[in-house]
Amino acid sequence: MIDPSMIRPGIALNDFLTIFVSSALVLVFGGFYVGIYTAVKVKLLKPWTMLFAYMFWVLTAYCLYLMGSLMHVGEFTAKALVVAAIGLFLLPFAVYYMQNQVHEENEH
Amino acid sequence: MASNHLTGIGSESKQLATWYFTFAAILFGAQLLFGLVAAIQYVMPGFLYGILDFSIARIIHINALVVWMVFAMFGSVYWLLPDETGIETVGIKIGKLLFWIFALAIVIVVLVFLFIQVGPASDTTIWFITEGREYIEAPRWADWGIVVVALGFVGNLFLTGMKGKQTGIVTVLMADMIAFAGLYLAGMFFTDNISVDQYWWWWVIHLWVEATWEVFVGAIAAYGLIKMIGAHRQVVEMWLWIEVAMLFGSGILGLGHHYFWIGTPEYWWEIGALFSALEPLPLVAMFVHVLYDWGKTQGAEMAKEHTDEYQAKSVITNKPAFTWFVLNAFGNFLGAGVWGFFHTLPQVNLYTHGTQFTAAHGHLAFFGAYATILVGMFYIAVQGTNGIKVLKSTKLSIWSTSLITGGMLVMTVALTIAGYVQVLVSRAQMGATWAGYFDGQSGVWFAQAMDWRLIAGVVVFTGFILLAIDLLTTGKNPVHKR
Repeated sequence: MIDPSMIRPGIALNDFLTIFVSSALVLVFGGFYVGIYTAVKVKLLKPWTMLFAYMFWVLTAYCLYLMGSLMHVGEFTAKALVVAAIGLFLLPFAVYYMQNQVHEENEH
Repeated sequence: MASNHLTGIGSESKQLATWYFTFAAILFGAQLLFGLVAAIQYVMPGFLYGILDFSIARIIHINALVVWMVFAMFGSVYWLLPDETGIETVGIKIGKLLFWIFALAIVIVVLVFLFIQVGPASDTTIWFITEGREYIEAPRWADWGIVVVALGFVGNLFLTGMKGKQTGIVTVLMADMIAFAGLYLAGMFFTDNISVDQYWWWWVIHLWVEATWEVFVGAIAAYGLIKMIGAHRQVVEMWLWIEVAMLFGSGILGLGHHYFWIGTPEYWWEIGALFSALEPLPLVAMFVHVLYDWGKTQGAEMAKEHTDEYQAKSVITNKPAFTWFVLNAFGNFLGAGVWGFFHTLPQVNLYTHGTQFTAAHGHLAFFGAYATILVGMFYIAVQGTNGIKVLKSTKLSIWSTSLITGGMLVMTVALTIAGYVQVLVSRAQMGATWAGYFDGQSGVWFAQAMDWRLIAGVVVFTGFILLAIDLLTTGKNPVHKR
């Protein structure tokens, strides 16, 4: 017999799989976003494919929201996740811009 | 023979590097072998009963992993120093002496682990047999030996860096290796309070690995990209500084995710959650970096030849090493990033902590983030010591890479499934009780996952044998361009 007080009600049993899959997809979709963005910028992909990059970022943000909701994160963690989503959005812009500037300065 | 820093022939530093790489490869084999034994014992508990205890196989598996990587890291630094500084490594004779001391100490420690598997918890045990602290079980005499060897190595690095050319890569390595040697000290003392003790212990386990090792990987990746695809040094080094800032920015306080359940104050929940959420960002940025450098240099080649990417001459001068470097970018992202992120927030870590999820993350992260790039360095050394201009992939290198990587992925998925069973049964349904622990491990899904883990282990070990053969023979293969 299991002591009922030992059972933690924080996360519903059926939500675990969704949490794990959505949190894994956060980075998978995030990787696609960053990868496509960079590939378009260095001309490995056609410019119109950039649309897919932004779609992947939207999916990333949705997965973060889903994961956070099902985990019942606190207010602070929710804000941290929003910061992470915005950080991921800006990251390729910032890194690419800086790399490109250095490249231009040294090549031309 | 005249010194030739480009090829490695005649450079004493590079010769020492090959010693380090060779011993690292031997320990890599030992790590996999003892991992295989432990995996068999999980499935057949009677295997080697009374001869080799599971706890010892596990200790050697994990410690050999750490030590082979340290050997390969030292080797990598000795390899790149002449290229980066333009001079021979200062104090190379001391470096060689320290290599033999280090190697001998490791052999003695492993033999003692094997011959004295049980004993009293006494000062003698701590000094001469094992300290008994998880992941850093080496006895105290060996701990001090490691510190002396590390300081000697740091001395070689600093004296060479200060005397020769100071590139960004060498400067980052100099700073990083100070932290590398210093943080190890945090695991060398005990306190009576287990929470305080664990607090410091994590400085070695987390900070050592997620800060100093990751920065080291960034420096090696920078060196590799310059050597293999002719990436622009200023671009690569600028990236390296960004990575250092991001890794230290997120990695140091990301330590908080280890402080959730050890008795530290609750504010670590918030700190751990915030910085752990940011920890994957440098790994994602690394992705941009490799793609950017390869895209730019390959793109320039295509533009020069007015062809497309399929017809243009490849800018890669060492295909097997570059393959391992690319696997590093993906593996770091998957193992440390994806598998780390999905159980890093405290709300879910409450359920996953100490389950096979951790093992899945540990296996893929160590393989993806470190083993890959160090194997890449083995190939760079093979190219250099054999005077090869363009090292091509061979059937053996392709097979070994595929088997090792495929095996690791299957192993990770198997361990993840086992961890998921534990989360649902042992934690969520049965509330982390004694009965829950055993119920979680006796289910069909858990047992089958362990079978798959073993099969994947055999595949990885087979891949390692092929890798060793390739590393030993490919240098003489006429297929490469000299």
